[in-house]
Amino acid sequence: MKIQVVESVLKANDAVAAENRRRLTAAGVLAINVMGAPGSGKTLLLERTIPHLAPERCAVLVGDLQTTRDAERLGAVTPLVTQINTGTGCHLTAPQVTAGLDSLALDRVKYLFIENVGNMVCPAGFDLGEQRRVVLLSVTEGDDKVAKYPTLFQVADAILLTKVDLLGVLDGYRRERVYEDISRINSRAAVFEVAARTGQGMEPWLAWLRAQRSP
Amino acid sequence: MHEFTLATALVERLLRIAAEHRATGVVSVEVRCGVLQQVEPEALRLAFVALVRETVAQGAALRIVPEPPAARCRACGRAFAPRLDDYVCPDCGRADAEVLAGRDVVLQSVELVTADGTAP
Repeated sequence: MKIQVVESVLKANDAVAAENRRRLTAAGVLAINVMGAPGSGKTLLLERTIPHLAPERCAVLVGDLQTTRDAERLGAVTPLVTQINTGTGCHLTAPQVTAGLDSLALDRVKYLFIENVGNMVCPAGFDLGEQRRVVLLSVTEGDDKVAKYPTLFQVADAILLTKVDLLGVLDGYRRERVYEDISRINSRAAVFEVAARTGQGMEPWLAWLRAQRSP
Repeated sequence: MHEFTLATALVERLLRIAAEHRATGVVSVEVRCGVLQQVEPEALRLAFVALVRETVAQGAALRIVPEPPAARCRACGRAFAPRLDDYVCPDCGRADAEVLAGRDVVLQSVELVTADGTAP
């Protein structure tokens, strides 16, 4: 007996994501899904961003396979940090974010950063209920990654080229190649060059973030 | 390896359908897979086989059919078919595409074995 089903396998996740988004919007929270490879600088960027944005009103949900190291680091800049250990999961899912939201007093939060598991493929396919998606690409990863992992960059509202203070020691890195690839995949995204370690380029990124709250 | 998450959701749905129809076996499963979702068919197959082991769906054939991509340019409204590495609108030249198809994974159909061989 053959049965026509025609139903998205992502439907269950998407339904939970829609409910997360409704909750966040109702509470006046701007939720940002922060994605990028392991070591692209996601945690350091948040450590250097949150102090400029009323830290007591910034919350972080941080996803990693193992350890609470990122949560411990971020705990130094805001008390509202929840670590989500995904075990073997290479990306966060909407139900995991729901559990994280349950742990927060949302009406006190203005910015919620959801630091996804370091990965350039899997997080792109899963809506968490966020309102904005930010993708980090460190210059040390090479200038060819936008074209290699296009889906992640295609879904981004903002792309941050990170660790630009190291450009001077990267022989043969072609920054224009990154921009060419972005122009073919996502010309809508805002692009920033930052070095969180030195503070270089942080102001335009912070201005963009603030503007997302008052469009 | 988001294939594992996708396979888990797929198998959960499949086993529910099989239970609803009191199936004694599953002959085949057809899944439409968006080409922009970056699903590795072999990884999906491997996860599927592992997840249906010792269930009513053990041994089911998994058929993965690619879903072609479709997008609409947010700037000028033109509908076009993007490629995984190229979302430039053929009319206005901007890469500001709203993806309409090619990113989903859809359980298309299942073929069940039921005790009496007919639909309940």
